[in-house]
Amino acid sequence: MQVEVLIFGAASLGAKSDRVTVDVGEAPTVREVLAALHAQHPALKFALPPPASGRLAVNHSFARGDHAIRPGDEVALITLVGGG
Amino acid sequence: MVFALIIDGPLTPECVARALLAHADQWRSLAHDGTIGATLRFEGVVRRAERDPEAADVERDLLALDYQTYDPMAQRGLEALAASVAERHGLRSIVALHSRGRVGVGEVSFVLEVAAPHRVETLAAVADFIDRLKQDVPIWKRAVWAG
Repeated sequence: MQVEVLIFGAASLGAKSDRVTVDVGEAPTVREVLAALHAQHPALKFALPPPASGRLAVNHSFARGDHAIRPGDEVALITLVGGG
Repeated sequence: MVFALIIDGPLTPECVARALLAHADQWRSLAHDGTIGATLRFEGVVRRAERDPEAADVERDLLALDYQTYDPMAQRGLEALAASVAERHGLRSIVALHSRGRVGVGEVSFVLEVAAPHRVETLAAVADFIDRLKQDVPIWKRAVWAG
């Protein structure tokens, strides 16, 4: 399946878009989506956490590792946050 | 009292006062119950000189910062962080306000006000909140350069 990942901040400026898409297997985990982002979008590498320990936001909550992503979930890359 | 809010634009004294109006009675009651020994207010201000990572980290002049939030996760994250810091440090009150959108040089983009029985809790709470804000609340800033 394809998973659309929302991106922000420097990642979004670098990609000149607010989202990227990755091709992954059915019911991918957060770890698998992060690994796919590394492999399929190397230009984002500076903003990507390691697949083994990194996190994504899934439906507006942080999720890690084995959390399974379902069709229709809103997935976002939350890294390099710089508020304040 | 725990109150957190993302507000469009700079945090002027007028807009901060407006945001806090709904909690004025609660604050007055806390202020007079005799349990508060210290209050501490931190304001984040947009400064003019900023390093440009796209120009070998040379310092350049800013016009403003544009704050981008991932909504509604940013609002929920700010609320959750305020509640967590209040509990961890035994605060009697915490107010956290953050800007969304453009904030010019010299304007305030972040306000944190905490109250506790002793000063040591307030000092630790402010440092803890700011560290965790940058890790856990999805708010990004983009430089708007002068010239």
